Amino acid sequence: MATPPIRAELEFAVESISRPDAELPAGTGPYKLAWRRLRRNYVALAFGALFLLIVIMCLLAPVYSADIAHVGPDVQNITEVLHYGGKATDVVGLTGIPTGPTWHSQFFLGADTSGRDLAVRLLYGGRNSLEIGAVATLITMILATVLGTVAGYFRGPVDGLLTRFFELLWAYPALLLGIALGVSLQVGGLSLGLFTLQAGSLMVPAVIIGVVYIPYVGKPIRAQVVTLREREFIDAARQQGLGPVRIMVGEILPNLASTIIVFVPLILANSILLEAGLSYLGAGVQAPSPSWGTMISDGIRLIPAAIHLTLVPGIMLVLAVLGINVFGDGVRDALDPRSQVRVGR
Amino acid sequence: MRKRLRVWLGVALLAALGTTAVVAGTAGAAHSAAAPTVTILYGTAPDFLDPQEAYTTQGAEADWVSYTGLYAYAHKNGAAGGVVIPGLATGAPKITNGGKTYTMTLRKGLKYSNGAAVKASDFAYSIERAIKLNWGGSSFYTSYIVGADEYSKGTATTISGIKSNDATRTITITLLSPYGAFENILAFPSSAFVPTGTAMTNLSNTPPPGVGPYMITNVVPNQSWVGAINPFYAKEAIPGIPVAKVTVDAKVESNTTTETEDVLSNTADMFDTGDTIAPALLAQIKTNAPHRFSTIPVVQNFYFFLNTQTKPFDNQLVREAVTMAIDRNALSRLDGGNLIPGCYFLPIGMIGHPTKPCPYGNPATSPTAATLTKAESLIAKAGDTGAAVTVWSETRSPRQQFATYYASVLTALGFNVTLKVLADHSYFPTIGTLSLNAQTGFADWNQDFPNPGDFYLLLDKNSIQPTNNQNFSQVNDPKIQNAITKLDAIPASQLKQHAADWQALDYYTAQKAYDLVYGYQTWPKFVSTRINYKALVVSTLYGWDWDSIQLAK
Repeated sequence: MATPPIRAELEFAVESISRPDAELPAGTGPYKLAWRRLRRNYVALAFGALFLLIVIMCLLAPVYSADIAHVGPDVQNITEVLHYGGKATDVVGLTGIPTGPTWHSQFFLGADTSGRDLAVRLLYGGRNSLEIGAVATLITMILATVLGTVAGYFRGPVDGLLTRFFELLWAYPALLLGIALGVSLQVGGLSLGLFTLQAGSLMVPAVIIGVVYIPYVGKPIRAQVVTLREREFIDAARQQGLGPVRIMVGEILPNLASTIIVFVPLILANSILLEAGLSYLGAGVQAPSPSWGTMISDGIRLIPAAIHLTLVPGIMLVLAVLGINVFGDGVRDALDPRSQVRVGR
Repeated sequence: MRKRLRVWLGVALLAALGTTAVVAGTAGAAHSAAAPTVTILYGTAPDFLDPQEAYTTQGAEADWVSYTGLYAYAHKNGAAGGVVIPGLATGAPKITNGGKTYTMTLRKGLKYSNGAAVKASDFAYSIERAIKLNWGGSSFYTSYIVGADEYSKGTATTISGIKSNDATRTITITLLSPYGAFENILAFPSSAFVPTGTAMTNLSNTPPPGVGPYMITNVVPNQSWVGAINPFYAKEAIPGIPVAKVTVDAKVESNTTTETEDVLSNTADMFDTGDTIAPALLAQIKTNAPHRFSTIPVVQNFYFFLNTQTKPFDNQLVREAVTMAIDRNALSRLDGGNLIPGCYFLPIGMIGHPTKPCPYGNPATSPTAATLTKAESLIAKAGDTGAAVTVWSETRSPRQQFATYYASVLTALGFNVTLKVLADHSYFPTIGTLSLNAQTGFADWNQDFPNPGDFYLLLDKNSIQPTNNQNFSQVNDPKIQNAITKLDAIPASQLKQHAADWQALDYYTAQKAYDLVYGYQTWPKFVSTRINYKALVVSTLYGWDWDSIQLAK
């Protein structure tokens, strides 16, 4: 008859105490457990793979442009005539309507109003949108983590000041703040001492979006740090004479890791969406550089006659954001902080 | 006693409320029995609504029916709309002193839209205000009116060349030299009367009172404004300037497809004549609404300015190169076929438009590979290959598309190009700031009056000014200056006899490639089913004539 599990664990515990030098079986860390849970979430993995596929496609934009389409993203072939299937088609017609998908290597998804290859611009636009999203996420996570941790740990006037800063940024609608900053930096760029951003640089919208989302991460992190600083292990660290920086970096930050990991895909998705919105409104990526937002904006006035101009970048945007969002949900579920560490047999 | 007092107070309050309700109801009834409202959409907001500031068609369209000067333009279609008629003046000016002195008499009993009486002395104040506010065309005043330049420089407190007598209602203007188009200058909305004492600051958000069928009210900057009927105009009704019949609700709608759809579906009544019909809907309009659609040729050019005072466009070889490399057919397609390819600064329909072939190739044909190679070699010869160039543009379609294409051509020619796109309402004030020293970018010009001198304002060195500059290329050519001085003196009635002189000048300008002209525009005349299409007047100078708008029966 098998020994009941609880009794077996008790016996093991007794044995461990009586034989302290005995080798303990390996435990399963929280991240391994999380990975196991994530592996079983097939939906999250599928959408994560979708997002990864989009990223890879966009990274391969120069290859597609050079070897398949044989045209760059900014090359305008307005008066060129295509010959497929014995039919001659204007890339851009006399009334300004561009050709639709040819399903051939050139103009696979059609042309835009300026005679540019839509597929090439879609991939290069994706690179820009994803790059801006990634840089913005990095800025947000670093600044929010630092500011949130400092605010939550020190409390008092420091916390007061930083919290007011968060609230000020939070109160201003993200899109309006982004537009205001984007438009004002369009002509002269941004110059803060050694730090200079040229007007029209992709980093301008990245910095703007990164700053706008600081409170969205900074406030929850601050709240978590406020709770953590009251824990015994922090007291113990103080008793050992560790300074505030070492405590924040060595003790508090590791406990924030799962929170940070959960926020990354969420902020990335929102950053990509905000970039698209800013670019659509003319305050983000500047012409002639493509982005999914600018492509949608360019195609809006021709929806009745050339719907592919808005549909194609719109679908890519939806798939990318959906992919990272669903994957992010899976990561969050996998990193549920209520999970217990169990000793293995 | 207290209780009784409370009762009486309550009764009095109820009576007051009741009276207010009745009065409001009556006013409401009167308002609802007032003129109907039509909606006009604009793809871009006016640069200004202040008459002594506005210098875009959007601003001028509202101002020319709200502010009348000594003279005005006939409210008629086509070329007839370019004829000058008396506005606040009783008749044609008495011109003496070899064409240098103009004497006019103000009509009697005129009132501004706020009920204040119009005085002859208000004219001088209005001109001083236009100069003080740096109106984009103020060189028309400072170059011709005695004392205007001294006033603009601050060395005089009034313009000595303008004298007026409120008692006799006479106004006398003395010019430095004869100027054949001076009556046209007096017909500008900027030359219109505003009351003496009107603040010398931009009043676009609360436009000053004026004399005209309309008054501009309810301004929400960059969003909307209302053309309300001027209650004091009906009585004075100047001959040739009809009374308004509708209230105009003007709104900004930056999407031309939405504009077109709204008019097609009768959600809006009209849109700005400067906006193009969305190409996607053109076929549908021609099929479903042919009776309320047509295109009107207008005297307007489209060009890219080339700053002749800064590299690389200070070199003629570079200017020639970019001029020959541009494919004007491509630009026409970007405009949905509404652009007529061309190369001369004076558009088709303007006296003096040259008939000779273009100096750098036929604008109707696309440049060949050999032409592009030649262009590259010219740039290399000038030593400007790889030079940094910033191309400026506004966001409105198809202007941004024009500039994007132009930037791609410059890139192909070997320049290091940056494209900067600005919000429409701030575009011209920004590139017109001299300190920016903008190298090249989009520009266009619609005639202010049917005289080539109007277009040559943009090439006149005297019109270069620190703000609101319109000579974006900063052209300073002695040959052009001498020609302008000579030809501007010719009276309007003798213009046709000197067409050959203007043609020769314009051909010279094209050869020097100071501006890269690529075509001439047509305007759509497209309205909702509510509007009486036949009665509608489109001024080729200022766009819709609001006082011709009436509802269809």
